[in-house]
Amino acid sequence: MRWFRFAIFVAFVAVLQASLLLDIIALPPLGSKPNLLLIMLVFFAINSNTTNAIITSFTIGFAADISIGSTMGSQTISFGLFGTALAYLHRVIAIRKVHYQAFSIFITAFTTGTLAHFLALLRGRPNVSNVYYAILGTAIYSAVVGPIFFLLASWLMRIKTHRFGRR
Amino acid sequence: MRAQSPKRDNPSLGAISRPMLFTWFMLTGLILLFAPQNLTNDIQFAFARVFRWPLTIGKNISLYARTRQPAPGANFDEKSQYENYIANLQEQLRQKHREVIELSGLRDRFHALENAGLIMADVIRSSINETRSELTINRGQSDGLVKGLYVLGDNSIIGKISEVSPRTARLKLFTDPASRIAVRIGNLNVDRLMQGLGKDEAKIKYIPTKYKIRVGDKVMARKNPGLLDTSMIIGVVARCERDERNPSMWDISVKPVCDIERLNSITVIIMNPQD
Repeated sequence: MRWFRFAIFVAFVAVLQASLLLDIIALPPLGSKPNLLLIMLVFFAINSNTTNAIITSFTIGFAADISIGSTMGSQTISFGLFGTALAYLHRVIAIRKVHYQAFSIFITAFTTGTLAHFLALLRGRPNVSNVYYAILGTAIYSAVVGPIFFLLASWLMRIKTHRFGRR
Repeated sequence: MRAQSPKRDNPSLGAISRPMLFTWFMLTGLILLFAPQNLTNDIQFAFARVFRWPLTIGKNISLYARTRQPAPGANFDEKSQYENYIANLQEQLRQKHREVIELSGLRDRFHALENAGLIMADVIRSSINETRSELTINRGQSDGLVKGLYVLGDNSIIGKISEVSPRTARLKLFTDPASRIAVRIGNLNVDRLMQGLGKDEAKIKYIPTKYKIRVGDKVMARKNPGLLDTSMIIGVVARCERDERNPSMWDISVKPVCDIERLNSITVIIMNPQD
């Protein structure tokens, strides 16, 4: 794992996520935007070994906490938990095809979003009526954009994503 | 078929097992979650400070893109600033008139923001979505900002300072779901709490239907001595319907009177500056 490159990549994506640049591609009516950090989480969970996946999941979660401006710790825990779970799942079921990857991103986005919301509630953030629509919108958008982002991420991190091709 | 692990595990972490690694990270997450908010906010403020330059560029690009393709219905321009200014003047005049009538003869002059300290600040970053509506600004404790101060954008109240660090501060917009601001609608002499709904909307409840409220009526932030010594415009009534649960009450939606997402600078009101 190229950790320095990973750190630069995480910082870049965190800034991109925090800036309003993604608002340009936001979709009405809820202004849904893809969560690039979450896509990154899935990418490293399925393209690294389990130990590295645990480290990257928590690191990306921490980056999400400070960049998205959420309740500190909520994203760290939810990203770390589901990133680790996905890495273990990947040892049993290979997530290689594009639509499997998109589905993984969708499920991970929905579960991490929901858990982060509940953890935020635990810290006293108010309950918002349409939060699940917002999470769903982000999950769908991230699932659509994810496989394209995977190509960029694999090129930047010099990770071969199709090393287990059919023989 | 069982999938292989892409690589062998990191040998440099030799003595630390995966469950132990996971447990340590999880503990860190829990510490962050339950740590006092003023400590954890410092980390978020530090991020905004360190990456201030790229964040501002990103914001400007986004604003430029949206200015070129204006969203339907969004028609906030310089004219709306003047309209808000006029609305504030009208409100001051009305309040003055009422005081004169009520206090009959007392020569109490209306000093709106005459002695207040007004601090201009640039918006570093905005987080406006369904779950939160907040702005991070480049002024903080060292500039005299404290929690609870009211903030103006395009001559209208847009929210209050919610968190402060030495050099930056976070502003909770009145549309944030956690925001509660006392308001009054138009000329009605009824004060109610306005609660944010996220994105670009807030709600006022518990106003009996006996009061006549129309779409477009101005909503004024109620004066809050020490923090806001005069009522000021905060929004307009965007929708007014009977409450589904309680048909004898109005269910009122309020929209801001300026395009908050496009604000590059705001003004913080300090009613009683120390120096």
